[in-house]
Amino acid sequence: MWSLTRPDALSDEPVLIVDDRVTGATREVLEAGVSLGMLRREAEALAPFARVMVRDLGEEALRFEEVAGVIEALVPRVEVVAPGLVFVPLSGAVRFYGGEEPLAVRIIEELEGLMNGRRGGEALVGIADGPFAARWAAATADRGTPHIVDDTIWFLSTLDLSALREAMGGDEMIDTFRWLGIVTLGDLSRLPRETLASRFGNHGLVAHRLASGEDRHVEPREIPPHFEVSMTFEDPLVSLDSVAFAGRTLSERLLKKLRASGVAPHTVVIRVEAGDGSSRERVWRSIDPFTEKDLSDRVWWQLRAWVETAGVPRGIAGIGIEPHDLSGGGRQLGLLSDESSILDAERALARAQALLGPDQVLQARIQGGRMPGERVSWSRWGEQPAKEERDPAAPWPGTTPGPAPALVPPDVKPIEVDWDAGMPTRVRLGSRWEPVLTWSGPWRLLGRWWAGEQDADRYQLVTSVGAFLCVVSDGRAYLAGVYD
Amino acid sequence: MVEKSLPSNGVSLGIDGVSKAELAADIAAPLQSLEGHDEGLLRLRPGHVTELVGVTGAGLTRLGLRLLASHSHRAPVVALDTRGWISPEAAWETGVMPERLVIVRCDDPVIWPKVLAALLEGVAAVYAEVPAKARERDLRRLAALARARRVAVAMRPMGDGLPSGIAHLRLRALGVTWEGADRGHGKLKKRRLVLEASGKGASGMRRRFEVEDEGTNAVRVVSDVVVDQAGRAVG
Repeated sequence: MWSLTRPDALSDEPVLIVDDRVTGATREVLEAGVSLGMLRREAEALAPFARVMVRDLGEEALRFEEVAGVIEALVPRVEVVAPGLVFVPLSGAVRFYGGEEPLAVRIIEELEGLMNGRRGGEALVGIADGPFAARWAAATADRGTPHIVDDTIWFLSTLDLSALREAMGGDEMIDTFRWLGIVTLGDLSRLPRETLASRFGNHGLVAHRLASGEDRHVEPREIPPHFEVSMTFEDPLVSLDSVAFAGRTLSERLLKKLRASGVAPHTVVIRVEAGDGSSRERVWRSIDPFTEKDLSDRVWWQLRAWVETAGVPRGIAGIGIEPHDLSGGGRQLGLLSDESSILDAERALARAQALLGPDQVLQARIQGGRMPGERVSWSRWGEQPAKEERDPAAPWPGTTPGPAPALVPPDVKPIEVDWDAGMPTRVRLGSRWEPVLTWSGPWRLLGRWWAGEQDADRYQLVTSVGAFLCVVSDGRAYLAGVYD
Repeated sequence: MVEKSLPSNGVSLGIDGVSKAELAADIAAPLQSLEGHDEGLLRLRPGHVTELVGVTGAGLTRLGLRLLASHSHRAPVVALDTRGWISPEAAWETGVMPERLVIVRCDDPVIWPKVLAALLEGVAAVYAEVPAKARERDLRRLAALARARRVAVAMRPMGDGLPSGIAHLRLRALGVTWEGADRGHGKLKKRRLVLEASGKGASGMRRRFEVEDEGTNAVRVVSDVVVDQAGRAVG
């Protein structure tokens, strides 16, 4: 594991890297009480002195290429999971380097040499049986000292249940386990597997396997040679745009081929041939079978990293992607949903995201709140949805009555309303005044005075062209929604 | 889900010897056959563009989102938002599955055709606000793409209506009235939206009908309404 900060951050400035949650922070920020995974708002409150930067996975992959290259020079087959995390199969390398510890120490030394006093990089190395245990061995390692696990099953049994969250999600199942008094993976592994399978289905089975030291079960199949996809270019590609297009097209072509056979890969080898005849390859691995978006992202990160670090002299003359560890597990067709339409839609949305940027393609979920704008929790499409900040099941007295307005401005907009003895008489819509035919309200909205908010009144105003939700605070009216 | 409910005004359900259910069925029978005809106009058909024309406030955003509801049960659906104002809460109320609704925000009229084209390549149903500056040539190409990919599309022009020949069905809002609010009392409960359907999708005839919406996923369609009911708010 390799801790990353945004490479464009100034070297002497405390930095907080965020997505919806904290994904990275400098030491000063961590010392202020911020932890990884914390909600962005909480982290900003704890470390107001830090410069907040939005996470850029593509940039991280680019910078991580250097790290992967160093490890690859020591052990040939490096499997990248995400920028910051690589798995290295040790069976052959251990014999060459004379043991696990000398190899791990060598990797740490090489990486420290790479950093050479630069800020932001910390190598955490863990060795255990299987990727899941190795990932947690690394997470619990000290800086500069490899954590070599001799007894993987015992090590896993000491881990908290939350270790499962990253590998398989399933917050609800983990909460249920806790409620039943199961707090460690050891507690979980002692339960009968068939009981878990019957109560929690496939999720329970996978959780039990991971807790028992049997890593995620992949059923490798013989790969017919025609599954590999490749492209060659008469004029080597040098511009990032054309590289991105070629990578995305190739990823789509590969998964389309595999889908026809009902399988999806857990591992892919990305190969490029450079214009000078040299070639490079890198293995990417995923716990779940790659989806179109996941694979397109990884291919793009890898190609961009090679192009921008001059890893492919004279441009890219050929690209190939070879799938491995094929499994049918991730492509089970849904009974009530059209799986192929879902995959097509994912591809289309990934393209829209590439055109507009990740912040413009959004999904939402309900959360608690009194105003329409507060009741929606937004997250980027394709990413883990942000946990709602306010419980939607709570009563929320004083909430704005339904139906919900179909248009809600991101921030309330000032609007001109004429009043006569406390009753609205007309409202200005654009350049004209519309008489208010009837209205309902006011409903009092008590502001959090300790946070500087003022009390307000809400009105539903009906005109001949439609109805509007209006908030009146301190004598001024604001538009909070349109019942369009 | 379109629910056929009964007309409530002027119907007494206390007649001796007749159960409520029997009476309801008798009353509903002629109405249902009429309703079925126009309800079809409130379905997005694959490969066709439905145009929603009317001023902001008429209720067309909610109607457009509602058109995505049945498609969302099978695959993701998209609302292409040019103003950044579309609220998913209204879509959920109309029956769109929350986990299947994706909102794509694009306020740049230059990129907008490319984004919609990308979406039409894979998404089964799209509600798209059309920027005022969208070019006719782009709109025609997008309509052709929707036909080729058999995507159900609802377009809501932010400026003038779409050029002729693009929309298979045109739904124009003639007026909207609200019930429930009464000079400070009550709250908004029911909207009556009078629509005029025209174009090939309406068999080449202009038809007027009314959509009653009570803020749930059920709407009631009443055919052949008299148009001058519109524009008058009911307190």
